[in-house]
Amino acid sequence: MNKKLILMLAGLGIAFSAPMTASATPEDDLKEFQGYFKKRFPTVPLEAYNDGVNALPQYADRVGNWELLMEFPPYEDDVEKGEKLWNTPFKNGKTYASCFQNGGKGLAVGYPFYDKDSKKMRTIEADINECRVRNGEEPIKNLNHGKMAQLVIAFKRLSQGQKMAVKLNSPEAVAAYEKGKQFYWARRGQLNFSCANCHVQNAGNKIRGDVLSAALGHGTGFPVYRTKWAQSNKPLGTIHRRYGGCNKQVRAAALKPQSDPYVALELYQAYMNTGIPIKVPSQRQ
Amino acid sequence: MKRRTFLKGTVASSALAVAAGAGLLKSGQVLAADWAADAFNARDLASATKSAVGGDGAASADIKIKAPLQAENGAVVPVKVETSLADVKSIAIMVAENPTPLATKVDLSGNAVGFYSTRVKMGKTSEIIAYVNSGGKILKSTATVKVTVGGCGG
Amino acid sequence: MATKIKARAKGDVTEILVLVQHPMETGQRKDKKTAKLIPAHFIQTMNIAVNGKSVADVSMGTGVSKNPLVGVQVKGAKSGEKIKVTWKDNKGETGGGDSAIK
Repeated sequence: MNKKLILMLAGLGIAFSAPMTASATPEDDLKEFQGYFKKRFPTVPLEAYNDGVNALPQYADRVGNWELLMEFPPYEDDVEKGEKLWNTPFKNGKTYASCFQNGGKGLAVGYPFYDKDSKKMRTIEADINECRVRNGEEPIKNLNHGKMAQLVIAFKRLSQGQKMAVKLNSPEAVAAYEKGKQFYWARRGQLNFSCANCHVQNAGNKIRGDVLSAALGHGTGFPVYRTKWAQSNKPLGTIHRRYGGCNKQVRAAALKPQSDPYVALELYQAYMNTGIPIKVPSQRQ
Repeated sequence: MKRRTFLKGTVASSALAVAAGAGLLKSGQVLAADWAADAFNARDLASATKSAVGGDGAASADIKIKAPLQAENGAVVPVKVETSLADVKSIAIMVAENPTPLATKVDLSGNAVGFYSTRVKMGKTSEIIAYVNSGGKILKSTATVKVTVGGCGG
Repeated sequence: MATKIKARAKGDVTEILVLVQHPMETGQRKDKKTAKLIPAHFIQTMNIAVNGKSVADVSMGTGVSKNPLVGVQVKGAKSGEKIKVTWKDNKGETGGGDSAIK
């Protein structure tokens, strides 16, 4: 399947400098992926990739926007609300912390992961809703913004500054990883772009008036507060919300948040982020 | 001696009532005593400047504007004005190409120093002009901020 | 609408940052659903006082961003001194907040 993908991309005349060998293991992929970005942006240390486009030298004349906004981040209200939600007991008196080992501290670095008991990939959103259901509450319906985004922020902040360390310790996890990787590198939509076309091959380049961020680090700052989304009063977004938006931009159908392909994609990205500290929420355009 | 009781409210609201009756109040605009409607509603830079600070001033190297060279999003453009000029009475920030150029003004008193920071809306690439009233004298500084069409909506 | 205040020492001055949750509608935007103009709704004046004394009288128009930020700096502020912010918008609605110099 990998060989086919390489041939397809090569046939379309796109030269790409992150070759995928057919027999690569995830560890090999990781080395190549991070190595590619180290070469492309030699002045940017691995840990800085959680600042997204702001870490790239090509963004120098605009990074002032973010630096000045960070003096009084616009998401502080949402962070407080998320903390409050996290600490408010359910009707049965229990709290979210009771559902998780160590009250949730340090766990975000391992998401998503494959759970043998439920035989499903677990994301933070899925586990937050599972926790609610186990404690007699309704699951949160909206998985794109609002309360769920605030709760995911609260959960990830329990691992703030800790390095991503997703483990692919089952054949099912590896299979999901491979699906996510295929999704990442496959072209889609009327504009026929893959995630990699923009965020790997053209990272740091301009697309109309914007600078493309690097794939490396994507997700470590999510959920995100986007100035653009703030104008319609829905500033927060989970990573699946952004996946839907990006797919729409290349005129591909947006999938539903927490759908299997997006979960697999999130897994692939999370694994590629190994070693990058969690820094949530982030403020972006 | 009998005490006369004035009807409550008539005296206090008479100024507003007269203004409203005379059509001076625009709909949705309360006559806030300290809000310079003329300055904020002025549509060209010259009249906005005249209403806001009295008129144009000379450029001064002692006024620094900190703003990004290119806006990330025209809806939220951070602008900081710092000046080492003496006796700063006020700082006004104009966005030359906006429909109403005067964005905001601060009148400083007490222990406040020559500094003002805010976030403005920009419709397109424009000069940002900071007017400082230093001891009654108007001085200014200018910075251009680019606003481009984004590429990655989503 | 919430008013947040931050005060931090920056060398020999104290920087006071105020952030207000306010729509700052220009009156030029159309509601996507009804196609009607959303009426102007924006903060017009704001006062910042330290230790009971006014330090800044801010006036703003629709050119200021949604959820407006205002930042000023004062000299000689002492730890514990109270900061009081009050604001009024074009609809006559008011708000504000209190804080203290750390």
